[in-house]
Amino acid sequence: MTGKKKPQIAIRKESELEILHARAQALAKEPEKAVPASELLEIIVFSLGGENYGIESVFVREVYPLRDFTPLPGVPSFVLGIINVRGQILSIVNLKIFFGLPEKGLGQLNKMIILHDECMEFGILADEIIGTKVILQKAIQTSVPTITGIGATYLKGVTSEHLIILDGKRILADKTIIIHQEAE
Amino acid sequence: MKWFANLSTPGKLLLAFGSMLLILGVVIVVSYQSITNITSSFKSVHDQQFTIAIELHELRSQQNYIRGQVLEMILTLDKAGQQKAEKNINEASNVVEGIIKNLSKLNLDSKSLSQLNELKSHLTAYRQIRDQQIALIYEGKREEAEQIALQTQDDNFEKIRSISAEMGARAEDEVDVVIAQNQLDAAKAIQLCLILGGVAFVFGLGMMFLLHLTMASPLLEISAIAARIADCDLTTTVAATDRADEMGAMTQSFKRMTDTLSNQIREITDGVNVLASSSNEILVSTSQLASGAVESATGISETMTTVEEVRQAARLSSEKAKSVADSAQRVVQVSQTGKKAVDDTVATMLHIRDQMEAIAKTILQLSEQSQAIGGIIASVTDLADQSNLLAVNAAIEAAKAGEQGRGFVVVAQEIKSLAEQSKQATTQIRAILTEVQKTTNVAVLATEQGTKAVDGGVKQSSQTGEAVKVLAESSMEASQVASQIVASSQQQVVGMDQIGVAMTNINQAGAQNASAMKQAEIAAKNLNELGQKLRKIVDQFKIKGA
Repeated sequence: MTGKKKPQIAIRKESELEILHARAQALAKEPEKAVPASELLEIIVFSLGGENYGIESVFVREVYPLRDFTPLPGVPSFVLGIINVRGQILSIVNLKIFFGLPEKGLGQLNKMIILHDECMEFGILADEIIGTKVILQKAIQTSVPTITGIGATYLKGVTSEHLIILDGKRILADKTIIIHQEAE
Repeated sequence: MKWFANLSTPGKLLLAFGSMLLILGVVIVVSYQSITNITSSFKSVHDQQFTIAIELHELRSQQNYIRGQVLEMILTLDKAGQQKAEKNINEASNVVEGIIKNLSKLNLDSKSLSQLNELKSHLTAYRQIRDQQIALIYEGKREEAEQIALQTQDDNFEKIRSISAEMGARAEDEVDVVIAQNQLDAAKAIQLCLILGGVAFVFGLGMMFLLHLTMASPLLEISAIAARIADCDLTTTVAATDRADEMGAMTQSFKRMTDTLSNQIREITDGVNVLASSSNEILVSTSQLASGAVESATGISETMTTVEEVRQAARLSSEKAKSVADSAQRVVQVSQTGKKAVDDTVATMLHIRDQMEAIAKTILQLSEQSQAIGGIIASVTDLADQSNLLAVNAAIEAAKAGEQGRGFVVVAQEIKSLAEQSKQATTQIRAILTEVQKTTNVAVLATEQGTKAVDGGVKQSSQTGEAVKVLAESSMEASQVASQIVASSQQQVVGMDQIGVAMTNINQAGAQNASAMKQAEIAAKNLNELGQKLRKIVDQFKIKGA
């Protein structure tokens, strides 16, 4: 009993060491600068067919779970059907087919995003609603040479995080989406 | 001559000896007749003429005696002597009278008869004169008596003598005649006998020659061959004959005998060869047997040693068997204890099975409940999803409100993160639940297996119980058997002792056997030598075609 004690070891586990390391990195970051609101763009991020898309929240009325929709006969294949949202009948468009993208794998396709502006209102299909996000206007890379065809007209650009930003205004204004067919 | 040769030997002999006998009979008859004649004539001579001569001779001697006595009487003075002489005279005269009587009885011819009568008369006269003389003597007139004696009596006496002498001479003459006659007869008979003897001699010679020719010469031939056979030569044999008599039969028999003999000697030769080789083999075998007997004797000695060891082993095993029997007794006790334990085990296993069934039921319920939890989690996930959508909608609405909605965006963000967290929690719960379900499934399976195992255990334990029961019975039997083994091993010890004694006897017997085998070997050697000798003897025989 000489009173000689062993020194206490503070770090006992690997996980604790990692946590401490992450904290140190977070503290080492530079604080973000305040950005003016005009340069900011609020978008809704969703996934479709394994890829993430973004659309300006200005054109989004609401998101809604896709339940009990009614398929419509005699319409182009990109029109999935119609749905009753709290008494209002809306048509549902599958953007993948509309854009002519290949049907790749099975998505959940159980969410819809209701787009609207002053004259138009319809829903587009989504696999998953990821959430809202605010990005800088200049972060969007607008001229992408690889994107051509129909798709290119409805795209605003791609962010550095591989987020494809859809141009909501053009989609809503597009005439090809309006089906006007009279019985002969 | 053929007929004679074919005649049977008795026939031949009968012929030869019969003819001889016939001749002999004739000779005998002739001789008999001659001898009978001679004998009868001699008898008549003897009966008559000799009797006459002898009687007359006697008569003369008696007369002489009488005359002597008379003269003695005359000369004798004493009376006693005179009387004695008289007595002698009387006796002699009685004899003379007897002679006369005998002569009268005979068959005399007439001349003899007349002479006899003359003799009688003279005798009578002589007696009368003699009586006178005797009377004169007694009277004392001896000179007168002497006178008479010298004169008259001498004449009578002379006449008696002459007559009797004449008669005697006549009788002797007759005897001579008869003898002469007989001699003649005998000569005739001898002549006849000589003739017959000559005939018989000639006949006998012929017969002898014939018999020699028909019997002796073949016999000689056969005897010569027999002598050669005696000298071990069987190469020659008699020529076959067609004679029908015994000689022919004998020749044939002899031929057959020689053939048979040569065959037999051939067979004997073969047999002797076989005997020689066999005896040789026997000798070899007996030698081997002798050595084998010696080996077996040593083997028996070794066996005796082994038996001694086995006896020791049997003693040891007897003791071991005793200890085994004790052990078996203990095993019986232990197995009964084990049986009780196994029964307890079976009961416990049954209890465990009930418990296992209860556990299985509980785990089944747990599984169902975890599935219900899964349903609840699904609804919670749905709720979290909706909350997320609601948060997004709230954020959209807040964005629409512009600067005023800025605080609400934060709230919406918080709601969204809550929804995210609840979703993550449900995901975790789901994962955990999945794990739980897996575990419960495993537990269900495990309980099932456990139930099965317990069933198996129950079965096993009941089987074990059966086995232990059987084991107990077996150990009981084993105990009994061990007791029997103890008894048996003791008997074995006794038996081994007896075997030891028996082995000693066997050892002695083996030694005797070995010596007997030696003797047998010697005997086989002798036999072998005998075989060689026999072979030599047989080799002396010369056989036709061999």
